[in-house]
Amino acid sequence: MIIYDETLFIYLSIKLAFNLVKKWGFAMASIAIPRTKSKKKMTAVDRKKRRSETWRRIKRNKLIYLMILPGVIYFLVFKYLPMYGLIISFQDYKPYLGITGSEWVGFAHFERLFTSPEFWMIFRNTLGLFALQIFIYFPIPIIISLMLNEVRHSLYKRGIQTIIYIPHFMSWVVIVSISFVMLTLDGGIINSLLETFGFEKINFLMSAEWFRPIYIIQVIWREAGWGTIVFLAAITAVDPQLYEAARIDGANRFRQMWHITLPSIRSVIIVLLILKIGNVLELGFEHVYLLLNASNRSVGEIFDTYVYVAGLQQGQFSYSAAVGFFKGIVGLIMVVIANKLAKAFNEEGIY
Amino acid sequence: MLKKKKYLLGLMLALLSFVLLACGNESASSDKDESNSDDPDTTETADDSNEPFAFTIMANLHTPEVPTETVLEEIEKLTNTKIEIQWVPDNNYEDRLNTAFATNTLPEAVFLKNQSTFIQFRDAIQDGQFWELDPYLDEFENLKKLKENVQDNTRVDGKLYTLYQGRPLSRQGIIYRKDWADNLGLEAPKTVDEFFEMARAFTEDDPNETGTDDTFGITDRNDLIYGAFKTVASWFNTPNNWGEVDGELMPEFMFDEYVQTMDYFKELHSNGYINQDFPVTSKVDQQEFFKNGTAGIYIGSMGDVVSLYNDAVTINPDVELDVHNYVEGPTGEYGIWAIPGYGNLVMFPKSSVETEEDLKKLLGFFDQMMTPEVMNYAYWGIEGVHYEVIEGRALPVDDAALTDREVKPYQAIEVGEPETNGRYEGYFDYEPKAKSEDLFIDNENYLIEDPTVPLYSETFTRDGARLQQIITDATYQYILGQIDLDGFNAAVDNWKSQGGEKIIQEFNESYQN
Amino acid sequence: MSKKATARISVGSKIFDTINYTLLGLMGLVTILPFIHVVGSSFATSAEIASTKFLLFPTKFSLDAYRFIFSTDTIFRALGISVFVTFLGTLWSMFFSVLTAYGLSRRDLVGRRALNFLIVFTMLFNGGMIPTFLVVQQTGLLNSLWALIIPVTINAFNMIILRSFFMNLPQGLEESAKIDGASDFGILFRIVIPVSMPSIATISLFYAVTYWNTYMHAILYLSDSTKWPVQVLLRQIVVLASGFNYDGAAYTDVPPPEVTVKMATIVVATVPVLLVYPFLQKYFAKGALLGSVKG
Repeated sequence: MIIYDETLFIYLSIKLAFNLVKKWGFAMASIAIPRTKSKKKMTAVDRKKRRSETWRRIKRNKLIYLMILPGVIYFLVFKYLPMYGLIISFQDYKPYLGITGSEWVGFAHFERLFTSPEFWMIFRNTLGLFALQIFIYFPIPIIISLMLNEVRHSLYKRGIQTIIYIPHFMSWVVIVSISFVMLTLDGGIINSLLETFGFEKINFLMSAEWFRPIYIIQVIWREAGWGTIVFLAAITAVDPQLYEAARIDGANRFRQMWHITLPSIRSVIIVLLILKIGNVLELGFEHVYLLLNASNRSVGEIFDTYVYVAGLQQGQFSYSAAVGFFKGIVGLIMVVIANKLAKAFNEEGIY
Repeated sequence: MLKKKKYLLGLMLALLSFVLLACGNESASSDKDESNSDDPDTTETADDSNEPFAFTIMANLHTPEVPTETVLEEIEKLTNTKIEIQWVPDNNYEDRLNTAFATNTLPEAVFLKNQSTFIQFRDAIQDGQFWELDPYLDEFENLKKLKENVQDNTRVDGKLYTLYQGRPLSRQGIIYRKDWADNLGLEAPKTVDEFFEMARAFTEDDPNETGTDDTFGITDRNDLIYGAFKTVASWFNTPNNWGEVDGELMPEFMFDEYVQTMDYFKELHSNGYINQDFPVTSKVDQQEFFKNGTAGIYIGSMGDVVSLYNDAVTINPDVELDVHNYVEGPTGEYGIWAIPGYGNLVMFPKSSVETEEDLKKLLGFFDQMMTPEVMNYAYWGIEGVHYEVIEGRALPVDDAALTDREVKPYQAIEVGEPETNGRYEGYFDYEPKAKSEDLFIDNENYLIEDPTVPLYSETFTRDGARLQQIITDATYQYILGQIDLDGFNAAVDNWKSQGGEKIIQEFNESYQN
Repeated sequence: MSKKATARISVGSKIFDTINYTLLGLMGLVTILPFIHVVGSSFATSAEIASTKFLLFPTKFSLDAYRFIFSTDTIFRALGISVFVTFLGTLWSMFFSVLTAYGLSRRDLVGRRALNFLIVFTMLFNGGMIPTFLVVQQTGLLNSLWALIIPVTINAFNMIILRSFFMNLPQGLEESAKIDGASDFGILFRIVIPVSMPSIATISLFYAVTYWNTYMHAILYLSDSTKWPVQVLLRQIVVLASGFNYDGAAYTDVPPPEVTVKMATIVVATVPVLLVYPFLQKYFAKGALLGSVKG
């Protein structure tokens, strides 16, 4: 029953988001923004005929290749070279035997993961928190940056900006212990307030229902202000003349926001959204781990916390590697789909 | 323009070649590594000239800062060694340990973290990655003194690979507000019923005489083992992790006593005699309730009484505390669970200690460490600077910052315990603390030992911690009233079906042998 | 435009402003309160902390915690190392990230999509701690502060954002420069970078914060503890003093540091990086980009 509800919820949310983007895409069309269509044509080009053309383009850009060479070397050496470590997902890896000496076990670790009775519970929990991150958290920094952009009083704007980005520097340990002081039944501030106003005390910390609200509120509190920075930077690129033109047409401030500011930062939003989707299974190990307890594990256990006990405390390198591999594959699928969708709407995407 | 371009190109090439060089440096750097591990050999050849023996120890850092070397220099002078200590923050110890192990960069002497880290290394030990110590210990008159029964708890297939760092077998007991008990005319509880009454009275009978309902009985935390639960379970005579029924080992939670303990906690909790959020309360928050006079009973290590008192007295100068251990269960017997007698272990990897001779030198160092002259430096620091001797016991100086920074971290490299290494016991001018030390010894008459410590179960090593989570969660849920006995039994069945059955079988096979 | 219309707009505008200012103000309040709690606690006495639930302003002002922290040179050294690594690392990372991001932002680059994909791929899969350690060891970086910088030279996430900023620049900008005979490097350094200051400032801030928060790498790669940055110290104090035990079985006799010391360490380790942002804010002025293009 619960599975059904949540899947439905996720499905509907995705559909809603899809429709919104679509609508927004049409709204965009009414505003002229320079955009190249050259890419589409390129892919349609017959390669054989244009081989010499390709060579010409490579040669012409030789300095560009030189520019990206150090970056490419970096990724090869520090990211791709260690990737042989993924092999241990298919082994019974023992540190003293090394990768060459460890026994091969094929898909045994994946089997163990998929057949574990908790697998679907964890999968569901992970998707649940992911949905909160995308549908509740993600729009908030955008909204705040739009709001900040409308503030004309420079000192006020800068002050608020600086203040709301402070929480990002507090570690989860600190945030969770502050939340404890606020929410505990044993003299916590919020429960004391509830009591004074004649309400029942609420067991925030040890209930399955409150886990998700607390999780997402803490995420918003810590990250929303920090998240505005990149959007504020994008907003600086909006041509002020567009606003003037809109004002002359009698557009109010809300309409300006909707029709000028938002579309101008659309590509940044989409890039960030795809990156976020790729991080589908990275929901903040430390944060979730600190929030978990006996009463909320049924909604709060995610892959990272699940393998923590097995992986770190019991030295099961292969099993944790296999779970990491699985997470990577899920992330890859999500990124590819998201990127395809973005391209379908004529966006750049991330690759 | 052209100049600028050339400059940029040059810069880029320089950076690029740096990266390439760094990669090409492979052989050079690994050479250097080898020469590092060769170091002991070079000192070995120069042994006759009495060169100090140089080696590295990897140890757990329990303090915020890495200590100064004042104390270490004294130890080096006495033992004619040149020691480098690789401090690793305790919280990330496993990461560093596993990485170093897998990359063959472990130093000569390696401290583990606790019992479960040791179990994790069992495979590697069986594979012969670490030196077996049995053949050598007899040569060293001090190492020979290490306790047989504790060593037995660290044997793998009957062989010894480690030196242990001793810990009292059981420090568990209660710390309570003596002044509150006096106000209410209560004695230290001798039975679980009296204890329950104390928790009730501390909650309901206004023990602090303020006229308001602002107190509760027991302050507990999110830890079923080092918090209150396991100790209370011992009072009820629950086995320690595993117990024997008709010659067969069964986990503690299949015993009636365990359920009785849960019922007891459930009643304490539903009556409000214990903090309502104890399953999510951290140690600091738990202690805060005690220090600020909200709660009157603390169950855990009785040694905590000093730090609790020191802080409590700054808030309320009239605070009086006392410690107590003996609480009888319904059967009229007192029992208290025991740890395996060690806190940490040190091992010697064959990858870094290449020859028998080097091993003997290392053991020679630890042998010297196990003399009062050296161990007092490691544990208490320099006499007159860091501590005074009063009545044959050591009293640290008042400057806690000084001892925190110069001495305390070195306690992580202790081997043995005062009985065997001869270092001073602590002197305590605070009476309840001195009493707690006596009660540790008294506890040794009532120990409940874990019969599985010397046993081995592959499934337990692999899945034990994860499976234990099922039981831990169910225990909390039962106490909070979120599940009933059927729910708890369902969790036990779940534990069995996910591998528990196999653990029982494997431990029993190992037990019969 | 009629007078009536302007009046309507300005009334609507005023309501809009009022709501907007109030909401933002509330948000600021909610975010700053816990920070005031941290700062306030760092100046309080332990006794007051233990007896007050959510302390904002101490009644008895005490500098003990700060005196304790600053009584050895450890924190100065650690702060110095953090500043050094943050400064050098940010410069180093920005240099390579800008080059790579700009290169990959060029739509006419053959193989661009494959390269981009290769970079995205590294965000999803990694070989794990041990193989990465081996690479760091083989490159001879162990126990050098460069081990905190070179292995994280380019953050794929930051690079991709920077690239998308570059791609959003008006196409005409580069083309006209090309016609004027500028080389690719000339275009990047004399046109693209100057007009991209807001995004460069943003990504620099991201890098700076990552470097400032470096923690795990220091423990893994630097066995010499005198090279540890301030976060190792901070983390150690916060974890010890918060009483969160990641491992139930861990047991130590050393009592945890005072809560006041924990709070003071958080303040000391956070304030330097908080100060960076206001300096960067001048790059976020509206319309900065086009102004500079036209000027």
